[in-house]
Amino acid sequence: MSTRGDKGIIRIIVVAVVLALLLAWAEGDLAFIGIGPWDAYFVRILNLAAINAVLALSLNLVNGFTGQFSLGHAGFMAVGAYTTSLLVMTPQMKKTVFFMEPMFEPLDRICIPFLPALLIGGAVSCVFGVLVGIPALRLKGDYLAIATLGFAEIIRLVLQNVRRLTNGALGLKGIPHVVNLWWTFGVGIAVFLFFRGFVRSSFGRALIAIRENETAAELMGIDIFRHKLLAFAISSFVTGVGGGLMASLLTTIDPVMFKLPTTFQILLTVVLGGMGSLSGSVIAAFIVTFMTEFLRVVEEPIHLGVWSIQGIPGLRMVIFSALLVIVVVFYPRGLLGNKELTWENLSSPVSRLFRRRVAS
Amino acid sequence: MLKRTFGFGIAVLLVLAMLSGCGQKEAKEIRIGVFEPMTGSSAAGGQMTWEGIQLANELYPEVLGKKVVLYLEDNKTDKNEAANAVTRLIEQKKVVAIIGSYGSGLSMAAGPIVMKNKIPTVGCSPTNPLVTVDNPYYFRVCFIDPFQGKVMAKYAYNDLNARTAVIIRDVQDPYAVGLAQYFKEAFIALTGKTDSILAELEYNTGDQDFTAQLNTAAGKKPDVIFAPGAYGDAAIMIRQARQMKINCPFLGGDTWEAPEFIQIGGEAVEGAALSTHYSAQAPGTEAAKTFVEAYRKKYNKEPNAFAALGFDAYCLILDAINRAGKAEPQAIRDAIAATKNFKGVTGTITLDENGDANKSAVILQVKDGKFVYLTTVEPD
Repeated sequence: MSTRGDKGIIRIIVVAVVLALLLAWAEGDLAFIGIGPWDAYFVRILNLAAINAVLALSLNLVNGFTGQFSLGHAGFMAVGAYTTSLLVMTPQMKKTVFFMEPMFEPLDRICIPFLPALLIGGAVSCVFGVLVGIPALRLKGDYLAIATLGFAEIIRLVLQNVRRLTNGALGLKGIPHVVNLWWTFGVGIAVFLFFRGFVRSSFGRALIAIRENETAAELMGIDIFRHKLLAFAISSFVTGVGGGLMASLLTTIDPVMFKLPTTFQILLTVVLGGMGSLSGSVIAAFIVTFMTEFLRVVEEPIHLGVWSIQGIPGLRMVIFSALLVIVVVFYPRGLLGNKELTWENLSSPVSRLFRRRVAS
Repeated sequence: MLKRTFGFGIAVLLVLAMLSGCGQKEAKEIRIGVFEPMTGSSAAGGQMTWEGIQLANELYPEVLGKKVVLYLEDNKTDKNEAANAVTRLIEQKKVVAIIGSYGSGLSMAAGPIVMKNKIPTVGCSPTNPLVTVDNPYYFRVCFIDPFQGKVMAKYAYNDLNARTAVIIRDVQDPYAVGLAQYFKEAFIALTGKTDSILAELEYNTGDQDFTAQLNTAAGKKPDVIFAPGAYGDAAIMIRQARQMKINCPFLGGDTWEAPEFIQIGGEAVEGAALSTHYSAQAPGTEAAKTFVEAYRKKYNKEPNAFAALGFDAYCLILDAINRAGKAEPQAIRDAIAATKNFKGVTGTITLDENGDANKSAVILQVKDGKFVYLTTVEPD
């Protein structure tokens, strides 16, 4: 037992060091020894993929693990993104942006560092999560989906109409670009590890029990409502943080960003990775983000000697959808189903190759 | 087995996609990037702009003796995609200048990236003032909302002798919100009375029923109703107004200039007036004549303002490269910033210190089911 624990710790340290070196290389922190940074386009996609992973993880906690079909994700993202942005924007920038109607009094002078702003963004989103959750989580299935969807729409309409707080439809710009790979991957890994611990804890097991059979879970003495609400609150906190990261990556946000398609994009990621698989969500987030970008190649004019084909805009979405259909045909429960990617099932094909048994 | 083959196929595809992104050889060409919404909710606008840009590239394919090559990236009407597209154009396609994008939000997502990389970018139709503010690398060939709002206020005051107005705006549309605000300011300044705007009413994109807003408006008995917003919503609103016997003129902005506006509105929109960037009927410059003829020949239809603005953006960059004498981003940027009296299709363009175009607007009116050129309004 102790050897296994030692091995685990060494493994974690090795992975952490390798990952840290890679991130430092990509960010250009190793420039003093003459390597890095990576291509800014690639780094940008990595950042986006990590943020999408955070968003997918948080949706998976509610939709995948607890089995509650929520469609309010974009709303929580919006709350987190707006709260974080309004807190980190400089007073001067606020003055420029709110040129039509001045901002509410005390808020136009407030400017705090990114980390507390991000946490406050998450916290505000969490408060909304609880407020929405208390009535909505008494609903089940489709009704919950409709209620949360309605919440997201309400948030968007409020953002559009309270112009002295959010600048309405004109949106915000000049949000400081703080995030880099350290931020996105740091938050991503922290969220992943926390969720992994959480779903393995008694709370997490209770959530899975609720998903599998609510009545049976209740008979076992699980307080259904409290557990659902807890999952919802944690999920909305993390979603808010994800929204804040995205706002800082883009440096500009507007209410139109947080429409239903945004929720669907994340839902698609979760379903692709497997409802109830954390590693699946992360892998799917990277696949979806990278695929949509790399498939840009098919939209460009292709020259084959004397013969050239005009690019067709939108073709990559057709190919992407076709790939999705294929995945769903072969993996109806998502790439990983409800399993996790572990060292054991990662290393077994490798060890088979070397004809060595893994100590178990 | 199938599963494994499929997995292998995906892996190969990914690797291929990655490889094709890198290793492009340097060529003796000048690369200009274009990012426009070719798909998504703003696809129509992006495609019209792209038609204009392509036409310009066909007519003027060379500058400084080098071939100009366009690189188009679709931004899917999505901010994240817009930021990715622009990064890709800069990092992988090594473009020296960028054109885009339809939609101010999309342009604003690209703003900090082009500024960081010091790549001059010319927007065709983003009218939100925030696009170019605090960004020395972002320019545009269209006029901005403040000017357009002022133009309509002047038209209402001088030509229609209006002394009172009601505003009905689409609260979801940044363009409509901006336009309404500037119309209000200009109209109050013209009439000298703060109560000359009798009411400011709101609706949401896609609303079908405007009776509540129109009832309030009718009660105020305004001389004109200013209703900036999408053509579809506006056309339905005007129909309902005519049914309710509200007979005052309706005024709007350049978004109304679509055949659908007249199709939906029918008889009701007769007499409605709008301000826009350009009209094929306006007595124009040499450039306008060339453009209209070439466009009709290539696409077999009438050009609209977005195509004209795309055409102008391309020509403006080419003109700047010519004046700079070299195709380096910084030199091009300085040349664009110094643009004075550039004879474009959509009017004579002078860029101000923000990078915004100072140019004339035209006013069109619906007459016998057609948009008819009324007058040109010069900037002050």
